[in-house]
Amino acid sequence: MLSNKRENKERMLGYCFILPAVIYMLVFIGYPIVYNWLISLQDVTASTLGSTGRDFIGVSNYKAIFGDPTFRKALIHTLVYTIGCLVIQFSLGFLFAMFFVKKFTFAKPIRGLIVISWMLPVTVTALVFKFMFAEGNGIINTILLNLHLIKEPVGWLLKGNTAMLGLIIANSWVGIPFNMLLLTTGLNNIPDDVYEAASIDGANGIQKFFKITVPLLKSTIMSVLVLGFVLTFKVFDLVYVMTGGGPVDATEVLSTYSYKLSFQLFHFGEGAAVANVLFICLFLVALVYLKTISKDEMM
Amino acid sequence: MNKRKIHLKDSQKNALFCVAAVVIACVFLFPLYWIVINSFKLDSEIFANIPTLWPKSFTLKAYQDQLGNLSVTLKNSIIIALGSMVLSLCLSVPAAYGLARYRVKGMKLFVLVFLITQMLPSSLVLTPLFLIFSKLNLLNSYLAPILSTATISIPFIVLMLRPGFLTMPKELEDAAKIDGCSTLGVFFRIVVPICKPTVITSACFSFVFAWNDLAYSMTFNTNEAMRPMTSAIYTFMNQYGTKWNSIMAYGVLLILPSVIIFLTMQKHIVAGMTSGSVKG
Repeated sequence: MLSNKRENKERMLGYCFILPAVIYMLVFIGYPIVYNWLISLQDVTASTLGSTGRDFIGVSNYKAIFGDPTFRKALIHTLVYTIGCLVIQFSLGFLFAMFFVKKFTFAKPIRGLIVISWMLPVTVTALVFKFMFAEGNGIINTILLNLHLIKEPVGWLLKGNTAMLGLIIANSWVGIPFNMLLLTTGLNNIPDDVYEAASIDGANGIQKFFKITVPLLKSTIMSVLVLGFVLTFKVFDLVYVMTGGGPVDATEVLSTYSYKLSFQLFHFGEGAAVANVLFICLFLVALVYLKTISKDEMM
Repeated sequence: MNKRKIHLKDSQKNALFCVAAVVIACVFLFPLYWIVINSFKLDSEIFANIPTLWPKSFTLKAYQDQLGNLSVTLKNSIIIALGSMVLSLCLSVPAAYGLARYRVKGMKLFVLVFLITQMLPSSLVLTPLFLIFSKLNLLNSYLAPILSTATISIPFIVLMLRPGFLTMPKELEDAAKIDGCSTLGVFFRIVVPICKPTVITSACFSFVFAWNDLAYSMTFNTNEAMRPMTSAIYTFMNQYGTKWNSIMAYGVLLILPSVIIFLTMQKHIVAGMTSGSVKG
């Protein structure tokens, strides 16, 4: 009886520590998500913003956005952008991880140093890449002209395809060290003697990579890719600052389009509907992610 | 002889790798260099046909041009980042400790709440939060960006700190309790001091997350007097798009906290980054 009481007291104390943060997240993230579904079913514009009794219009907002060519483009752009970023940041991140995991004097300090790009404000990253990609005297054009790789200056951010490429490169700059770090943790967990044994058996570098490194890193690779997908798919700041979704709407992605609908055109209902499509995409991928890590080491 | 040869080979290999690493670092960190170096250039050099890798004459003019409106935006950025930091720490450090120390019902669910909310994008909650804050009359206040940016740090810190609390020996806490220390006393006098480095790292992360935020503050605080530096630099770019020296000078001031924090506690930051963003 007495120990039961103590157990109860302990449990109450635990809740006192945990619940404030949980409640906070539920109030400021959970409730808005639910509220977002409500808004997406309502007719919310600048004029009805303040009123309490807004009309429910069913799925009209969803019908409107799915009939909207810009929305379909934004969905495709988001996918192209995400896959492009994943390919670059994962492959380069992997190369960097393999390189810096080697034991040489500068390995750790330099690996640590390049992680700094992850900590910088995305606003500034977007601005400096915009500056470097500038048409007239941008440094990237200057370098490429000097190497004779291009004949005349390219207006990188002024054309749809190259603007998308510019965004992918800028985002990869932030993503590469992140991928590198997570993969390094995985690489460090592979015992050296596995490689030694393979060397004795006469395996070469490529064989070792595909027969040992990749299979043993499978779960790390999986979670890096899924996490990378989620973090890239939700891009906002970078696109908003670097291209603003332009030229015209060639780099419009779901988050910037949702923002435009809500805060520039004041179609809050449609903006909420676009955000919900983004949410569903992320949710599906996140489910895969949670499944992978719960197999690993969650608790 | 043989032994010596191998030794030489190893040191050569080491040197080769070091050179390669330095080259990688130089190429990779070039954008950072470009921000800093261009902030010291004169307008004439910025508009020159061929960009210079090193300024012909160093000048602080771009910084002086900025100082006029800087005092307001800098103050706003500091208030928002500090407010968000204090709020996040007060909520997340106890939560991480509670999730590590106490066996409570629904613990898996709580960890899940943090894992999921950490992955959700700000653009998802922008519209609803805007409507909620407008109803509560919180738009164009410090509270709106503080409350919203804290949602970025809280799950991150909880996930980052929990593993450390899990491995901390319980004996110390038990001993303090036997000596008559209350649970809160144990938390503040034993647990937090022992985990000081990681708690400080958490503080740094939450400061930087709020300082770096653009989406929330730009949406909620449209009033110029309430804008932080991130949205001010964005507005400035739209107005003076080609004054890259001024924009980069602003950029230098914006990256300064991250760079200082990063350089002083790199080891903790790198460790926290992996544990904070991956698993519970």
